[in-house]
Amino acid sequence: MDTPFGKALCHHLLIIAACFMVWIGAHEAFALISEEENTIEVFEKVAPSVVNITTAPCDPEYFFCPLPSSSMSGSGIILRDDGTIVTNHHVVAEAENIEVALYDGHRFAASILATSPRHDIAILRIDAGAHPLIPIVLGDSDKLEVGGKVLAVGNPFGLGQTLTVGTVSMTGRDIRDGGRVLRNLIQTDASINPGNSGGALVNSRGELVGMNTAMLSPTGTSVGIGFAIPVNQVKKVAPGLIHGWVKWLGWILGSIVVYWALRRMRRPGTPS
Amino acid sequence: MNKKTVCSLLLAVFLSIWGTASVEALTEDERNNIQIYESLAPGVVNITSTVLERDFFFNVVPRRGAGSGSIIDSSGHILTNHHVIEDARKLEVTLANGKKYNAELKGSDPDTDLAVLKIDAPPKDLVVIPMGSSENLKVGQKAIAIGNPFGLGQTLTTGVISSIGRTLRATGGTLVEDIIQTDASINPGNSGGPLIDSSGKMIGINTAIFSPTGASVGIGFAIPVDTARRVIDELIEKGYYAYPWMGASFMTLTADFARALKIPVERGVMLVEVVRNGPAHRAGLRGGNARAQVGNHVLLVGGDIITKMNGKELMDADSAVREIRRHRPGDRVTVHVVHWDGGSSTLSLTLGERPRTGR
Repeated sequence: MDTPFGKALCHHLLIIAACFMVWIGAHEAFALISEEENTIEVFEKVAPSVVNITTAPCDPEYFFCPLPSSSMSGSGIILRDDGTIVTNHHVVAEAENIEVALYDGHRFAASILATSPRHDIAILRIDAGAHPLIPIVLGDSDKLEVGGKVLAVGNPFGLGQTLTVGTVSMTGRDIRDGGRVLRNLIQTDASINPGNSGGALVNSRGELVGMNTAMLSPTGTSVGIGFAIPVNQVKKVAPGLIHGWVKWLGWILGSIVVYWALRRMRRPGTPS
Repeated sequence: MNKKTVCSLLLAVFLSIWGTASVEALTEDERNNIQIYESLAPGVVNITSTVLERDFFFNVVPRRGAGSGSIIDSSGHILTNHHVIEDARKLEVTLANGKKYNAELKGSDPDTDLAVLKIDAPPKDLVVIPMGSSENLKVGQKAIAIGNPFGLGQTLTTGVISSIGRTLRATGGTLVEDIIQTDASINPGNSGGPLIDSSGKMIGINTAIFSPTGASVGIGFAIPVDTARRVIDELIEKGYYAYPWMGASFMTLTADFARALKIPVERGVMLVEVVRNGPAHRAGLRGGNARAQVGNHVLLVGGDIITKMNGKELMDADSAVREIRRHRPGDRVTVHVVHWDGGSSTLSLTLGERPRTGR
């Protein structure tokens, strides 16, 4: 086929064949559900970084609190491999004995390092010894878009580790929770139930974007409106809680200013 | 470049745009859902049960309940939940095409909450839902539920598998093992319907009885299809599933109890009551004969303590139940027993068939 017409025909056929193959290829790829693969992959990546928290609150009506009245459950996220865990303040508020169960079933006693009721964030510390802890990868909650996929990993109703999937319903929500106002929350339709509190909300790349915190519901259980504290808020608050001296910083600066002001007032004859 | 090449390029561009456009109109996930719904929805039936109750003045009042079921073979067998058909005087099955049939109860098993019905429908109306396996499920995998929530009519809900291998205690105290948990909405009426994976195979039988509010909270449970496979044949054949039975009730002996009762074992299962002439009694096992108070608990003590069954250490009563359930009536199991006086022995007993309460 040396004629120009033959060449053109060849071109023609080749290009059409290539197109057809691309089309077929696309169909072939769709036989596998990539959506599922992504979900499975993300869960396997995130699951070891989410812990179950069991607390035994003291019942004040009992004399000297001889028996822990009932146990409550929540979730937590491993922030660093030294055993630093972030959770919600309301999970560990009034807690007597805090026990942290890892994904693989290992249990450790935890102590509260610091807590901020205003932000509903608390930092726990466990001593896992030689047991390896896998910290979560932090993402950027400012880059979340409504409609994006999010996965919640937590411990609803104390059942044990559970994955629920949904989308970002809205960002930047302010809600009133008890006496405080929680700002800039992520709203999601992934099922968030009691016990999911303190658990991880991750994006489809497996990066932490929020900490599941609350839900809006007439029944007290999930109706598809859950809220998470954005991870950027956690990033802002957590270091201050982990490094305890930071909370004295304000007092130190304040006392320096007061000291300086007093000295100025005491010094007579100085023109001001 | 001659005219023909330009032409073919244009055609190619057009074709590829057209091709991708038709692909992009629906995402793969959507197309998968639609395909599964279209091919399998005719295999999901609505079950209406009529239960006769008496009101305050002892007048007979019929109460109707609704559930779902899946057609499992071309001879008209339908798999559903036991609690859907429980106490029903009349069972009516409505196929997806609207045809109604009176159903006959072939058998049911309250322990696994499964039941099999049969309808006499022509084979062309029966779309069989293929059974997959619940063995290699992964958390995060897609789960599709088809059913009849709140009696609304056929409904599709989707979600993911939230967890696997969980053991739950059903109302009535029986253990239901390897439960599949999903965030696909499972509501009352979904009960008995299939949970389907993305390849269109049944992986579980939805059951709404574990919900804390009575409606979906994003935590739904399904009985694994492997459990169903195990019991279905016997349900059709005999009307019930024969459970292996040891003829004894037992309790977990924790280390604390053992210490308080001064028994030289760490962990085990203590026999509380042994049924006369039951398998355990015939093998020479003894139940409790004295009362003792440990803390706030009153225990029936003095019974033999089983520490190992078939060579496996027993951690608690549930693990003993699980080990027994691995066998069939008539199988022999060996147990290692520690007696109250400190002696121990290994003996073997033949499991019997658990007596059934009249139904």
